[in-house]
Amino acid sequence: MTEATVVNSFLIFRVILVGGFLLILPHVTRKGLFFGVYVGEGFSDSDEGRRLLHTWRLGCLAVMATALLVGLSISAAGWPVPGNLTGTAVLLSVAAMLYLRLYGKTLALAPPAAARQAERAVAPLQGGRPKGALFARIALGICLLACFATFVYAIVGYAAMPGRVPVLSGGMGAAAGLSDKSFAAVIFVPTMSLMLSLVFGVSAVLNSNAKLSIRGGSGARSAEGQAAFRAAMTRLSGVVALLMCGLLTLLSVQLVRFQLSEIRSLGLSIPWGAGILILSMLGSQIWILKRYGQGGALIEDGSADTPLAGGIADNAHWVWGLFYVDRHDPSIAVESRFGFGYTLNYGNRNAVLILVTFLALALSVTALGLIAFAF
Amino acid sequence: MMLTITIDRALDDPVYEQVAAQVRQFVSSGALDPGMALPSVRALAGNLGVNLNTIARAYRLLESEGFLVIRDRSGVVVAAPAEEVEGTMRDKLYDELRSTLARLRQAGMATDTATRIALRDFLAADRPLGGNGDD
Repeated sequence: MTEATVVNSFLIFRVILVGGFLLILPHVTRKGLFFGVYVGEGFSDSDEGRRLLHTWRLGCLAVMATALLVGLSISAAGWPVPGNLTGTAVLLSVAAMLYLRLYGKTLALAPPAAARQAERAVAPLQGGRPKGALFARIALGICLLACFATFVYAIVGYAAMPGRVPVLSGGMGAAAGLSDKSFAAVIFVPTMSLMLSLVFGVSAVLNSNAKLSIRGGSGARSAEGQAAFRAAMTRLSGVVALLMCGLLTLLSVQLVRFQLSEIRSLGLSIPWGAGILILSMLGSQIWILKRYGQGGALIEDGSADTPLAGGIADNAHWVWGLFYVDRHDPSIAVESRFGFGYTLNYGNRNAVLILVTFLALALSVTALGLIAFAF
Repeated sequence: MMLTITIDRALDDPVYEQVAAQVRQFVSSGALDPGMALPSVRALAGNLGVNLNTIARAYRLLESEGFLVIRDRSGVVVAAPAEEVEGTMRDKLYDELRSTLARLRQAGMATDTATRIALRDFLAADRPLGGNGDD
């Protein structure tokens, strides 16, 4: 199999996955929400609603075709990697433009009466810890302990390394010569592990306490649907955090042992494990969407016709239908209006702090990667 | 069945009063039994999208009225009905009751209707009728 075939396969897989997700998203989103706008529960059955959905479907198919055409043409001209990147960029940027166009059209059509719903809010009067909250905290705790141990092992290992250490060949196989030992290279994987553990572990904790955007009127079924979706998302994030951290801990330990010449190669178990983890994560997300719908939309049953209430119904607090900003709302995580799972309340100081921490860690990992492997 | 609480910012009643009124109603109707846990201040404020102090104020009011018990560790739970109404509290409640009855009478409600509503609410919560201090 040539490099171009592999790279092109990844592009085709990505286009089908992202395009397919975008195609089905309006159909698994909660009733009343349309391209990030709260328009009232009857809008999706109206002529305007059907027309907008038709435009979205055709637009998504056109975006997918264009991304493949551009990406594969550049690849066929002899540049498979730039082709892959350009195809992905076309896919994401044109899809974003299509979304924003439909968001603007939907916002103009939103009935003024829908704004009244934001004045109301409904919450379950049920105490106790939310489902999965304890698991989420335990998962985050285990991940942080594992990361700490990985850092200690890497630093101790670095001190014991000779001045020249073996370097890996391409496919994580045997050693391909020697180079000077590098502290940045040794702590690169533990830092990446810390970042991903925090992203998924903290997401699990935030998901377990995410705002329940339940409907007014007979909203008990809506509340149960919301709680079930939230628990499923919490379990998914927690399990991914544990598996991701486990895999990266193993990789970090193996890399240190490799540089200490205790093992001759890393083998293929870690790349295979990573591949299986990513596919399982995608499969679980598809299962959750199919089982619950976004925010529990598919199990709201009879209550789906009663109006949404509170922050999720408040068009004034949603920027482009994607970013929730309400300084007076103490919630950190809120249900996404257009997308899968939850998003942050960017008006909340703690949410912004969490975001900045994640970005700082991502920048650190990038900087360490550049220092360790590019120079 | 999950109980839900609803607030409406468009109403004139303050949000903390709306929360307190609904909890009172749930307790008096027996939907909330003594010992049942209520959401924490943070959880309820987050789900309603209101300030933490608003819910804290509602809970403090309900605690002072004897509907809730706020504990450090186990959180907020529904209080058991008191065995006996204490003197000052009894006088205060009687004043409120007399005031409410006067308003009902002024609003044109028949005596038997008012009695039926009062009996129904007491019986729903399985509260002993009569009790102390009948005069």
